[in-house]
Amino acid sequence: MRANKLGAALAIASLGLTGCGGDALEGKRPELRVGAATSLKSALTEYAGAFGQAGVRLSFAGSDELTAQAASGAPIDVLLVADPGLLDRAGAIEARTVFATNALVIAVPAGSDEVRSYRDLSRPGIRVASGSQRSPIGRYTRRFLDALPAPERAAIARNIRTEEPDAAGVVGKVTVKAVDAGIVYASDVTTSQGRLEAIPIPGDLGPGVAYGAAVLRRTSHPDEARAFVAGLRGQAGTAALQRAGLQRP
Amino acid sequence: MSAVSPFRVVAAGALALLVAFLALPVVAIFVEQSPGELIGALDDPGALDALWLSLQTSLAAVVILVVVGTPAAWLLATRRFRGHALLVTVLELPLVLPPAVAGIALLACFSADGLLPTGNLLVLQTAGVIVALTFVAAPFYLRAAQAAFESVDRSWLDASRTLGAGEARTFARIAIPAALPGLIAGVALGWGRALGEFGATLMFAGSFRGITQTAPLAIYERFGTDFTGALALSAVLIVLSAALLLTVKSGVARLGTR
Amino acid sequence: MLHASARAEPGDLDAAVDVPAGTCLAVAGPSGAGKTTLVRVIAGLHRPLTGRVEVGGTTWLDSASKTDLPPERRRCGVVFQDHALFGHMSALDNVAYGSHDRRGAHDLLERFGLAAREHAKPRELSGGERQRVALARALARAPQVLLLDEPLSALDATTRASATRELQAVLADLAVPSLLVTHDFAEAALIGDRVAVLDGGRIVQEGMAAELAARPASAFIADFTGAVVLYGSARSVADGLTEIALDGGGTLVSVHPGAGRVAVTLYPWEISLEPADTALHATSARNRLAARVTSVTEVGGRVRVGLDAGQPLAAEVTAPAARELGLAPGVLVAATFKAAATRVVPG
Repeated sequence: MRANKLGAALAIASLGLTGCGGDALEGKRPELRVGAATSLKSALTEYAGAFGQAGVRLSFAGSDELTAQAASGAPIDVLLVADPGLLDRAGAIEARTVFATNALVIAVPAGSDEVRSYRDLSRPGIRVASGSQRSPIGRYTRRFLDALPAPERAAIARNIRTEEPDAAGVVGKVTVKAVDAGIVYASDVTTSQGRLEAIPIPGDLGPGVAYGAAVLRRTSHPDEARAFVAGLRGQAGTAALQRAGLQRP
Repeated sequence: MSAVSPFRVVAAGALALLVAFLALPVVAIFVEQSPGELIGALDDPGALDALWLSLQTSLAAVVILVVVGTPAAWLLATRRFRGHALLVTVLELPLVLPPAVAGIALLACFSADGLLPTGNLLVLQTAGVIVALTFVAAPFYLRAAQAAFESVDRSWLDASRTLGAGEARTFARIAIPAALPGLIAGVALGWGRALGEFGATLMFAGSFRGITQTAPLAIYERFGTDFTGALALSAVLIVLSAALLLTVKSGVARLGTR
Repeated sequence: MLHASARAEPGDLDAAVDVPAGTCLAVAGPSGAGKTTLVRVIAGLHRPLTGRVEVGGTTWLDSASKTDLPPERRRCGVVFQDHALFGHMSALDNVAYGSHDRRGAHDLLERFGLAAREHAKPRELSGGERQRVALARALARAPQVLLLDEPLSALDATTRASATRELQAVLADLAVPSLLVTHDFAEAALIGDRVAVLDGGRIVQEGMAAELAARPASAFIADFTGAVVLYGSARSVADGLTEIALDGGGTLVSVHPGAGRVAVTLYPWEISLEPADTALHATSARNRLAARVTSVTEVGGRVRVGLDAGQPLAAEVTAPAARELGLAPGVLVAATFKAAATRVVPG
């Protein structure tokens, strides 16, 4: 009697266990774990929701944080970062692609007229938020500043009041009007629901911001992962990215 | 030799588990790098600036809490009035607020569009860091101070009054010395909390080297690209906090035997 | 002169006392009777619903005129039940705390025999020493009234005896009124010049201790004010006994040790009475005092018989026994009681 009950219990338990593990069983949709830069949030949420081949679990963080986690073996299948160079530090990868570009813009609170062009950034008394130099947004900002004449660069540097760990922080500071302007991605302004306005940076000064994607070699769903990355350059992916303010590569 | 009760064994096991759980991550920070790497990373002037700023701002927050909070805690401990329980709950609120929420609350209150017309006096300034630290550390000191004053023998306070000392003199010469061990423990708790504060500081005061980038912020900044630097700064912060805690505890112990 | 009348929360206190300068009123009562409330009202630590406290012509409290001096403005010396010495200060600093006079504090401690311990912290002192420091501290500011809240209850039995004597000496020298509250009637009888019994917040009887014992106004007071106090000179005799020559005549034997001036306490229900001309007979009661009946008070089936045996005394017998013996004022009787029924306190 007891042996039968024990056997039944074990059988049910083992079913449960195998259910957790495998897509080897038929009819079980695989789940991709995707780590993406925060600035990709609205675009990716739309794209992933429509991705048919697998369920997608998204997690957003700063690009360098994600890279560090991937490098130390975090269980993610796909990595999307705001600097293709970071992918080199993510460990063993494949299917490396540049799938979108973004532009660097100057964000100001909607309706503000303190700063109307990038020239205003160097005016005395103007408060500017930038990304920290160790973050992708900060590195891009640095490239923009380096393209300026030295005195102007120095004046802007004097106006920088905070160096945020990520673009979200810069957006936050501009939104609460803690600063007059911040240097962020164009997509950040697009998704700000009208709270921010973008002042463009002239093409020759603006650095090219590119987004890189890669599949981690250790993924258990290589096919689905590669499809996910490839789809970013496809119709659905491009549409979602553009709606979020990102551009084609 | 008496047999050890099973409960005793279980309790000991629980203790061992807890000690391991709390100690191992801390130990790991020191083990993951060589002493040379650790010291070398301190050559980073940004890291030193961050440590110095952390010390200054946390100390300022503690001073504010002691100066303002001690009489306040005294009143709470010695008087019962309508709304007493509500007041205490309000003062304990930062305890249950996630630091990010605290940061948002401070912004909602003190930023350019906020409740109080402080404009940008505090946001992105060192003063803003001090405000954020004081906000999150307040309940730690206040609760300890209130408990310390509540444990002072009431008859001592009565005796002091009958001997000609008014409330102020009773507070200064009797209550504070009698409550001192508890007050110092409160300072240690509050200071530790202030040293470690991250979320509210980042949101409210931003992060700028030498002005608002405290050690925890600096660690976070280094985390992605310079893990060694982050480890090193973390190690230093741990040593600093441990030294602080030990100094306070030994100070309290010495007071107890006076 | 201390006048204090107060009505505090209903049921807590509703009493009035008057204490002439240089005398001590002992307020005795069971726990919860309101004794501590009375002390706190006089000291200014508790504001009663209505009340008046006047000391030496100064009004400290008068609800009618809305006068209510805070404690620090009243010159009131208080000895608290647990002494309430400041643990972080030395004995000297404790005594000097109110008077700001270290020289005077030192002199005071010397008078109490504690000059050698003046730098010790309270926790390093014995119970008796702490009590003396508390007393010195209360007296250091030359208060206009001295209040003592169960000053001996924190002491062990051995220390209590010497502390009682010291307290008696201090109070005898005191020129201002003093008020002592205690749950122990024997203590009240020993130390107070007059005794007031406080029960349920009200003073139910007041007078000399012997009077309360002899003529209790109620059964409660009869039970509460049991102790009778006799004074005399003691010396040790054979078999470990103590013989006491009583003031006013008569001798008494006790099993408890004592020497020199002593006070002997015993309870009325331990005293038996027989007609004075009863022939001496073998009995285990070693004590027999000739006495004259001064009062007979019936209290709920028991009879308190006030006696004069050179000193006032009170015995308690049953009503039938009182009738049989024909007890009435003027009758001569012999009061007998055992040597073991007596307690000797150095006096």
